[in-house]
Amino acid sequence: MKFLVVDDSATMRRIVLNSLLRIGFHEAIEAADGIEALAKFDETIDFVITDWNMPNMSGTEFTKALRLRGDGKDVPVLMVTARSVRDDILVAMEAGVNNYIVKPFTPQVLKDKIDALLPAAA
Amino acid sequence: MPTMKSNRTQEVLYESEAALRLVDHELSELHDVHESFAAASAAPRGLSGLGDISALLDQANSQIMSVLARLREGRATIESTAVGKVRITQDKLREVTSATEDAATNIMDACDRATTLVDALDDIDASDTPNRVEASAVREVLRDELFLMMGALQFQDLTSQQLAHASALLDDMEHRMIEVAKLFDPSAAVELSKLARTVDNNSLPYDVNATTHNADSRQALADEIFTAIRSNAG
Repeated sequence: MKFLVVDDSATMRRIVLNSLLRIGFHEAIEAADGIEALAKFDETIDFVITDWNMPNMSGTEFTKALRLRGDGKDVPVLMVTARSVRDDILVAMEAGVNNYIVKPFTPQVLKDKIDALLPAAA
Repeated sequence: MPTMKSNRTQEVLYESEAALRLVDHELSELHDVHESFAAASAAPRGLSGLGDISALLDQANSQIMSVLARLREGRATIESTAVGKVRITQDKLREVTSATEDAATNIMDACDRATTLVDALDDIDASDTPNRVEASAVREVLRDELFLMMGALQFQDLTSQQLAHASALLDDMEHRMIEVAKLFDPSAAVELSKLARTVDNNSLPYDVNATTHNADSRQALADEIFTAIRSNAG
């Protein structure tokens, strides 16, 4: 299972990558914004974890763009963000996000969300 | 991106803009009064009677009083706007302080527990017959503690957003105060404009509601919305 972790904060990328290692996922690549993520995404990516607030291209814009691509329309997208008001969550869903984690999070929450989406990735 | 503003912020911005428009309008009226006086002074004595001058003075007095009242009102609005923004900024900075303190405490507590676990491993190792099963269990708990320390560093991402928000508020206040100053002294407009910094908002993406507090309840809300909408869609 190969992950694409998208966050403009290097600290958060590292925390997410270490969380993935902790729960048994060892393969992941990183991107600092939506544009870099779109460039790095290919058919080898099984799962996307993205932040919302990023320069150049936000997480919702990235997800919308990904859904328009043939190789990205079905990949599970998990948003990990500080945004947690109802309207924001609805916007994320409309953009094509499959599930949502509010920062700060625990590895257990991350594991639960990934597990819940794994059947979709299979 | 910092495009989302809270209702309070939008309200404050609206009030401030309205006040500035009001001040601008009233200063224009003052200018009109000044022109009326100038016209009256320039008119030939024979064309302007004493009664006309008295009426003009009454009108001017009334307008000046009105302008002063509006200026006071405008000043009060600007003051309340500034107070509101300062309060939001203070709240953000206090939350940053609190989040930093919490994270530091959590990390130090985890360090203390990790040190105790390392001591326990030393004790096991010092035994004539080291219990490998027990050592393995202690190492697992130790890994949890180390990971907890890393997780506590999530505060950095959230506090950077809070600081970006506070910075944006201060920047907005600076521009607003400069605009007010220009109204009262248009000749200083160029110098004042030089004071205003140019901020690239796109380089400072932040969420106005970013917080380290109540993560569980905020996660529960997100879960509730996703579950409800999926149920409806199903």
